[in-house]
Amino acid sequence: MTPCMVSTGFFVLGRCGRASVTGCAGCGRPVCDRHVSGDRLCPECATARGYGSPYDPMWSYGYRRETYYTTSSSYQDPGLYGDFDAYDRGAFDPGDQGDFGEPGDFDDGDDRDFGDS
Amino acid sequence: MFWRKTRRAIDGFHPLHQKLIWEHVLSAALPRSEWMALLASLSRHNELVRRRKWALPPRTESVVVPLIRVLCEDVGRGTVGLTADLRGHAGKEGPRQQLPVRRPVRSAEQWWVRDRWLSARSELRDGSVFTLDVVDVVRKRRIVKVNPRGKRKTKQKTKGVQRILTSRALAKGQASAQPGTPPPPWIRVKVRRGPKTVIRAGAKVPLPVEREQVRAILTVAAEPFRWTQRRRSA
Repeated sequence: MTPCMVSTGFFVLGRCGRASVTGCAGCGRPVCDRHVSGDRLCPECATARGYGSPYDPMWSYGYRRETYYTTSSSYQDPGLYGDFDAYDRGAFDPGDQGDFGEPGDFDDGDDRDFGDS
Repeated sequence: MFWRKTRRAIDGFHPLHQKLIWEHVLSAALPRSEWMALLASLSRHNELVRRRKWALPPRTESVVVPLIRVLCEDVGRGTVGLTADLRGHAGKEGPRQQLPVRRPVRSAEQWWVRDRWLSARSELRDGSVFTLDVVDVVRKRRIVKVNPRGKRKTKQKTKGVQRILTSRALAKGQASAQPGTPPPPWIRVKVRRGPKTVIRAGAKVPLPVEREQVRAILTVAAEPFRWTQRRRSA
């Protein structure tokens, strides 16, 4: 079973880790049923197409990247955005389960999470 | 009875949504799934409610909704508590003080409005607890002056600032380290070390315009999280 490699969380980053159902049509990374959009895209690729409203469940994924970028500039701390970007890009490495946290540690209350199976 | 269909639509909304419409306040501590149900209800508001009197209060869609979305991203099995008082500054004035005057000014009075309109508490999935408070502090001055021909003029001035206070109490034994770069000079940080380290970050900023409000809050909120950021080695 291939785990979903979508980066979850806003300030506390983690990997989703649930069982993937498809690959993103844009970037190819494995995505679970919770994170796949109507066009078979991962949240980042879906929000990159157009900046949705906060009512859209995928909105926070695009807003998170923008927030890290602008906050990094406000704090004059390039590492803040760089680390987020490196973490997010790590999702394309099949062996990368996220050095920033143990997979499954950050489940979101659903017993069907990959870490629980 | 007028607006019958609209009233029926409002009756079908989430109870917290209805409270926002009728009382312009929101206060609840709920798990993520319940907040998502509230957001789903709010998303239908503009489509079903056309009457301006029953529109969502200011700062709901520009601040509260994005903030709920952001806080729910980091919450684990715990809850997100949020109290939003969106009634505005009216009725929150402090006592009026008379200021010393010189002619032609006849009277000058000053009063303050302290409006703690937003507070939140979130139990994050790494075991830490994040809190947020946003307080508008507005100084108001009214001056009455009379010209040599007896004509009276009244002038009122308003100057507002906003205090954004965030804190993060880390889980027991959770490691923290001072970030490599300091925060911007307008953000103050206090750290209380112990078995549960508490990192507080606060800022006093000019009253932001509504569309910049979330950005200001998240910029201050980022500081407590920088203390536990795990740098990836190259």
